[in-house]
Amino acid sequence: MHAVGVLEAGLCSYVLLSYGHCGRSGDSMMRMLANLNAEDAVFGHFGATGGYALAARRAMHEFHTGPETWKRIAVGQRKWANLNPRAMMYDRLMTDADYDRSPWVVEPFRLADNCLLTDGGRACILTTRERARDLRHTPVTIMGLGMYNPAADPAPARHLAGPTGARRAGEMALSMAGITRDDIDACEIYDCFTYTVEITLQDYGFFGPGEGKDWLRGGTIEPGGCMPVNTSGGLLSEAYFMGLTPLTEGVMQLMGRCGERQLGPKTGNKKPEIIMCSDNGGILQTHSCYILTRG
Amino acid sequence: MTNKRPSPKINADTKAFWEGCREHELRLQKCGDCGHLRHPPAFICPRCLSIRTFLVKASGRGRVYSYAVYHVAFDPSFQGDLPYVVALVVLKEGPRILTNIVGCDPAAVSCEMDVEVVWDDREEGISLPKFRPINSNHNEVRK
Repeated sequence: MHAVGVLEAGLCSYVLLSYGHCGRSGDSMMRMLANLNAEDAVFGHFGATGGYALAARRAMHEFHTGPETWKRIAVGQRKWANLNPRAMMYDRLMTDADYDRSPWVVEPFRLADNCLLTDGGRACILTTRERARDLRHTPVTIMGLGMYNPAADPAPARHLAGPTGARRAGEMALSMAGITRDDIDACEIYDCFTYTVEITLQDYGFFGPGEGKDWLRGGTIEPGGCMPVNTSGGLLSEAYFMGLTPLTEGVMQLMGRCGERQLGPKTGNKKPEIIMCSDNGGILQTHSCYILTRG
Repeated sequence: MTNKRPSPKINADTKAFWEGCREHELRLQKCGDCGHLRHPPAFICPRCLSIRTFLVKASGRGRVYSYAVYHVAFDPSFQGDLPYVVALVVLKEGPRILTNIVGCDPAAVSCEMDVEVVWDDREEGISLPKFRPINSNHNEVRK
């Protein structure tokens, strides 16, 4: 959103959005996460897994979600990763039974509900539509943006089971784009945990509270499904590059640069025109939604 | 385990809270202007931005808003406690507090369960407010 602002203001011509990190081989990710809630370390509460586990547990209480819903997300996204040679989990299949056998980390989350740690990076260049017209590749345009940050701290945050910032941010982005959810061909959702995908899609209005389990049934988000989600494998099964994983995948899908996993005849999906993407921060305190289109 | 456990990060905002804990009192900040009760402690009222603050003693009773069961020790000093329960407890007075649920099987914890404070006195002069289920018998004995 800031990049769009500086381009619109004419302060620069191109903005590079990038992320690079030795998240797997270094320990800085764990240290950063531990500092997030240093106040809580006396109670043995560390990092993001515990915080999101608290959110997910409350959601189980309020709208009866749970592992059966999250399994569809973990297993579904893995199928996309199995089509993506760049994905860390490219050659690792995940069955329902594999999910069920996955060890607890912080209950209700199993290891399979957690995103990866990755060495690597991603980048994306933003410019104005006028400049993009002269470039070699068909550009991707931002149709709509929304940002909503409901709380600063997980303790006083009131809505761990939703609506999170995704509700308002999603409405803003759809309204700016001048479209409805029915116009969306695919979603690239920030998926630090499986539950994050559920609560984001739920708050965007794809299904009502607790209806995710039914909505996801039958491979909705998988190759050939009616609403492909996290088509690279996402943070859960491709690579963790923060919000750059969903952003770059949305852009590359619309540019048609995704190889075996390219949405279209190969995967049994419609060639995408419009993709809805998300990013969120903290323990669901901040949320950004953006809608991309081809051309 | 010889690893030292993490200590509370005591600063100007949280000093009064941890001093209260040492005396086994759960002290909440109350805004001197709008009366809003808050936790964790902060310099300024998040509701009206006033800096006038009083301390009030909380009852030490509440209910579980949510909880998570740790099966992995992210810090080696917690290895011996696994599995243990981290919870957000809504105090009777309103604010939420991050804590542990103790004195029961992790599988017996549930959202909305009634709990009361129990003090975990640590060697270094620190007391941690933890919570345990209130069972109805306990209640009667206490009243």
